[in-house]
Amino acid sequence: MSNNTLPDLTMVEAVNLAMAHEMRKDENVVILGEDVGTNGGVFRATDGLKAEFGLRRVMDTPLAETLIAGVTVGMATQGLRPIAEIQFMGFIFAAMEHIICHAARMRNRTRGRLSCPMVLRAPYGGGIHAPEHHSESTEALFAHTAGLRVVVPSSPKRAYGLLLAAIRDPDPVIFLEPKRIYRISKQAIEDNGEALPLDVCFTLREGEDITLISWGAMILETLQAANKLAESGISAEVIDVATISPLDMDTILSSVKKTGRCVIIHEAAKNCGVGAEISAQIAERALLSLQAPIKRVCGYDTIMPYFRNESYYMPSANDILLAATETLNYE
Amino acid sequence: MNNTDRNPKLSAQFEISYHQYLDNDGKALIDLPAQLEDETLLIKLYKSMVLTRLLDKKCIALQRTGKMGTYPSTLGQEAVGVAIGHAMKQNDVLVPYYRDMATQLIRGVEIKDILLCWGGDERGNDSPLSPQDLPSCVPIATQITHAAGIASAIKLRHEERAVVSTLGDGATSRGDFSESINLAGTWQLPLVIVINNNQWAISVPRSVQTAAQTLAQKGISGEVRCEQVDGCDVLALYDAMQRALDNAYQGKGPTLIEAITYRLSDHTTADDATRYRSPDALKQGWEKEPIKRFRNFLHHRNLWDEGKEKSLYEQCEETINKGVEEYLNTEAQPPEAMFDHLYEELPHSLHEQRQQLINKTREAGNE
Amino acid sequence: MKYFKLPDLGEGLQEAEIVEWHVKPGESIKTDELMVSVETAKAIVEVPSPQDGIIHTLFGDEGDIIHVGEPLVEFAGEEQEDTGTVVGKVETHHGSDISDDDFIIGASSGRTHASKRCTPAVRALAKRMQIDLNTIQSSGDHGLITAEDVEHAAQLHDEKGPLIKLRGVRRSMAKNMARAHAEVVQVAIFDDVDVHEWVEGNDPTMRLVRAIAVACKAEPFLNAWYDGKTMALRPLKTIDLGIAVDTPDGLFVPVLRDIGNRPIENLREGLDNLRAAVRSRAIPPSELINPGITLSNFGTIVGKYANPVVVPPTVCIIGSGAIREVVTAVNGSVQVRRIIPISLSFDHRPITGGEAARFFSAFQDDLKLPK
Repeated sequence: MSNNTLPDLTMVEAVNLAMAHEMRKDENVVILGEDVGTNGGVFRATDGLKAEFGLRRVMDTPLAETLIAGVTVGMATQGLRPIAEIQFMGFIFAAMEHIICHAARMRNRTRGRLSCPMVLRAPYGGGIHAPEHHSESTEALFAHTAGLRVVVPSSPKRAYGLLLAAIRDPDPVIFLEPKRIYRISKQAIEDNGEALPLDVCFTLREGEDITLISWGAMILETLQAANKLAESGISAEVIDVATISPLDMDTILSSVKKTGRCVIIHEAAKNCGVGAEISAQIAERALLSLQAPIKRVCGYDTIMPYFRNESYYMPSANDILLAATETLNYE
Repeated sequence: MNNTDRNPKLSAQFEISYHQYLDNDGKALIDLPAQLEDETLLIKLYKSMVLTRLLDKKCIALQRTGKMGTYPSTLGQEAVGVAIGHAMKQNDVLVPYYRDMATQLIRGVEIKDILLCWGGDERGNDSPLSPQDLPSCVPIATQITHAAGIASAIKLRHEERAVVSTLGDGATSRGDFSESINLAGTWQLPLVIVINNNQWAISVPRSVQTAAQTLAQKGISGEVRCEQVDGCDVLALYDAMQRALDNAYQGKGPTLIEAITYRLSDHTTADDATRYRSPDALKQGWEKEPIKRFRNFLHHRNLWDEGKEKSLYEQCEETINKGVEEYLNTEAQPPEAMFDHLYEELPHSLHEQRQQLINKTREAGNE
Repeated sequence: MKYFKLPDLGEGLQEAEIVEWHVKPGESIKTDELMVSVETAKAIVEVPSPQDGIIHTLFGDEGDIIHVGEPLVEFAGEEQEDTGTVVGKVETHHGSDISDDDFIIGASSGRTHASKRCTPAVRALAKRMQIDLNTIQSSGDHGLITAEDVEHAAQLHDEKGPLIKLRGVRRSMAKNMARAHAEVVQVAIFDDVDVHEWVEGNDPTMRLVRAIAVACKAEPFLNAWYDGKTMALRPLKTIDLGIAVDTPDGLFVPVLRDIGNRPIENLREGLDNLRAAVRSRAIPPSELINPGITLSNFGTIVGKYANPVVVPPTVCIIGSGAIREVVTAVNGSVQVRRIIPISLSFDHRPITGGEAARFFSAFQDDLKLPK
């Protein structure tokens, strides 16, 4: 299945590969965060980087997310390309002020004199039976902030290509890594430094009958549902949004106009989730092509439950299949 | 509270020094260090303080006459900004809060740009002469972490530069400040942090802000060199800044300076201090005032006189009026400018919105 | 595992004293073999090895106190299990059956509008009135179907009768005929061929098939494919004859392959099989494609002459009418003879009149033969 000269890598290994590649190429790329140096990151995302690049460029910070974000902003204004790791998305809230008030605005408020070419990486999402606050999915909070980019990879290959793009991007990128699929599959990845484009969706399956739109770990369940639909002769088009903000509505609309039916799937809570924005735009711009109402399959509008009940919160492949079937049968 | 009967060993002790070279009347309390005998420097310091005060007065007037937005006055605190501004090298980096007009003027920010900022126009932050300085910062204390980041970059690149960051007394209660002190100490950053302790955080007096005896001692929590200085004594301040910057250039780590001043104005033009501050307290504050005492000092040294004072005032008025006129004659940016500089390149998804705004304003213009 | 730590000794006991080691560095040990004896406050505990392996280091001498959770022994050559997380458990699950190695950046290419454009309200109206949206002509902008369009369609339905949308074979025929008409420059030659000399037992269809084979060998250009865009003619190596067959389901044209090289009996059998397969709708698609030349034997129903449609990429179609008796003149005297009327239509873009005429002539010469 894989070219035996290329290594088969998990997503977290792909993230590591991308960072190592850019650090070799550009001495302005530096890494900071808690436990990223000697320990290689709690998920091993920065494994081996301190050994190769030294503690000057791979910095273990004190335990202070506000500080990490603020320091990253300051470094970025000096032309470094800092990649900050926030250990879990649940801890990112202390960094919000710097992300929203400063990173997102530095270029705008100085009319381009200063800018923030930074990446803030965080493992996100549920499904690893973690204690509370370690399973959040709050990409909508960032998507709502102008001046930021929000990117969510869904496979090792795309993690590699998208992270390269994020590091090279001249503006701040919040890079959310779905930890449930950190190690769940491997893909052969060539370390060729080829970035994937940002601000663009990826079509993972072509189909004629229904469009399934998702991102992150949910892509796994979405593809499972698509396969099940295929067994009944229904071809589903699967779109990986990848860049949550700014959204590539052209790809989404093109697909919905072709199939006339769509289901949006995200793990994050339903109310004001990014699915709501996509829904609204589809209704604004492709209403006449719709043959059924747009459906959203999301997490509930509750606090993420402790892990014993975690699986009830997260959408399953069956939930997606049901929603798709209802949409297809809509009269 | 007293532990002596439990016979503990001493783990650590601290002491905080307080520096003052001139008393309230401008009389030298010590033999001044050699560099402070430089007449050019002394005149420069004085002229900068006067310009700051006069411009400050003008800014309040502009706000009161509806020509500018809310403005935070620097009245009584000119010595801090001036000492910082003249002590810094041009290629050091300033990371101010929002009461640092004095320093910004010295570092080349034009009067027009200062007014544009408070006048609600982002272009005021695009001042070219100190291109790496951060703009004024409203979210309290967040600038200190940015300063720590900039200092990290400088240290990483082995550059002989320093970062100077300022904050008020209230800001020292915030996490950003303590987190930055901690990092500055452990990473030994080339960072000088100056607290403008003007005794008031809007209506909250210094005594309510924290139980700590001094604000300077908050540096001790991060093992940061710290001292107090009379913030109305421009000479003591200048000297403290020089020492701190030298330590930073030589890789000897950060310094925290608590400059003790008095806020002679309201917090901003939107505030009314008479609601919470007694007239007596204000009167006492005027007694420490930096410009009067330094003028007295210069007079004692025969470096200044009435004639020079008059012509300085005239020069300042001219400079200020020119800047104000430039500001008032600067047309507002077109509405669609809000889409500029959101990202390096405006994403495709936003072109439509931008065009909608342009169309809307064009239609409104045609009516 | 690399490090084996002192396990929980039970009863809340947190530490033990090493009494006696039963292994030395460098020795190998098997699972459950005795490794070390330790003494707790309560008793002597024998600690077995958790795995097979070779001892690298012993942590502690006899007489040392060691606490629960502290490393006891290091095994050689092992990697310490890296959970790769600090909370929870990150699943590894290789050989996931979801592979999405291929993906398209942006939108997929197929972008035909699958459905007619109309508002949900109009869609609901059409459904209530039982009108198929795909049959409605829109009067609105950009193909938008309005309520008036739906009502108009419903009115027509009532007054003039229902609308049958062409499907399947009939639909294909409609498409192909329209395309042929647009492209081909069609010319027809008509003639009566005298078959009066035919002996008993002649199968008219097989005679026609053979005559076509003979004529193709005389004028190969009429058994060819023509591409109007590139203006290139491909005379075909084999003669594959499409034979039009009418069925209740519509017009089918199964193809009798290589009629130039097969004996007649074989061809007859082949034709019978094809006809049967068409009637039973069991005919595979491969038998319906790519004829080089076509025969339309409409005479089996009725008619003399016709101008059957030449369907690209072929350039020739022969139509045969019903065999009948006619009064005709032969060498100056009146006779009643059996003739079969034949129409030859050809595409005059690549084929000349002369070629067509010579083809027809060879065809007639063979068809006239008694057998």
